[in-house]
Amino acid sequence: MKRQFNMWAQIINAILGIWLTVSPAILGLSDDKTISNNAHIVGPVIASFAVIAIWEATRVVRLYNVPLALWLLLAPWVLGYDQTTAIINDMVTGVAVLGLSMVKGKIEGTYGGGWSAIWHRNSLHTTEARRQPRV
Amino acid sequence: MSDLDTAIPPGWSYNPATWTQRLPIVGLAILGLAAATYLGLFQLKLIPTVWEPFFGNGSQKILTSGVSKILPIPDALLGAFGYLVDAVAGLIGGIRRWRTMPWIVILFGIMIGPLGMISILLVVLQPVLYDAWCTLCLFSAVISVLMIGPAMDEMLASLQYMKRVKDANGSLWKAFWGYKEVYEKAI
Repeated sequence: MKRQFNMWAQIINAILGIWLTVSPAILGLSDDKTISNNAHIVGPVIASFAVIAIWEATRVVRLYNVPLALWLLLAPWVLGYDQTTAIINDMVTGVAVLGLSMVKGKIEGTYGGGWSAIWHRNSLHTTEARRQPRV
Repeated sequence: MSDLDTAIPPGWSYNPATWTQRLPIVGLAILGLAAATYLGLFQLKLIPTVWEPFFGNGSQKILTSGVSKILPIPDALLGAFGYLVDAVAGLIGGIRRWRTMPWIVILFGIMIGPLGMISILLVVLQPVLYDAWCTLCLFSAVISVLMIGPAMDEMLASLQYMKRVKDANGSLWKAFWGYKEVYEKAI
């Protein structure tokens, strides 16, 4: 009867997204527009997807962070970072976000078969509806 | 089976349309409405300054920027209107509305989804285009992202209900608008 919040992995990812957003200011990299723009674009998006994925019915949104994490691993080389701090920051954050995005966590409720049940026949909600007496 | 149990969608462990599920989202929408209205009043020049505890003249810079004036009315007022629709759509209907009025549940979900996406976009644009942050704009963005997850489960229940109507060769159009003859036959 309650929403589930027990999703520590996504909470940490949300914090990592916020960290990435503020890291150029804290690490003194704000003058480098390439580095700070990348952090300011990718950070808020990672944090947002992670927050949406805290809830069980939308836990699948955690996977949207996989390509963003992979981009963080590539970005220092694609964009040609020349600051070691920024390279380490993007790589470490990227690896952490990638790993934590894979963590599905506990799903305690049932959701009628979830989002794929909208186009699949014979999902949980269909079979349950057949069993239930009409009210 | 108690009356409340029959409001639970089939195959679900809880009812996503109860008041304890919906009222927190409505509360967030009202907070967002207050913040966005305040920022909109500043953009209309009805109040002379804007509250900004952290980023110096950041709020002023963002709220008077080119992006905020793309549309004929200030962007914060559009945001306020969005939050108002969210709050109203969160309040309409009873605890069976995922079945009795899918249109309002789906409107609720659709308004919350894109509004959240626009908020994220605006958060990204602030530092990238203007090298500035705006505290209340960030607050509003956090609120709209928090609303997305909790609103989507109810929309999922409505979409699954419409799928059952479709499989039973019922009218999707009538199911969407909550015709009684449809929802009395299908659960």
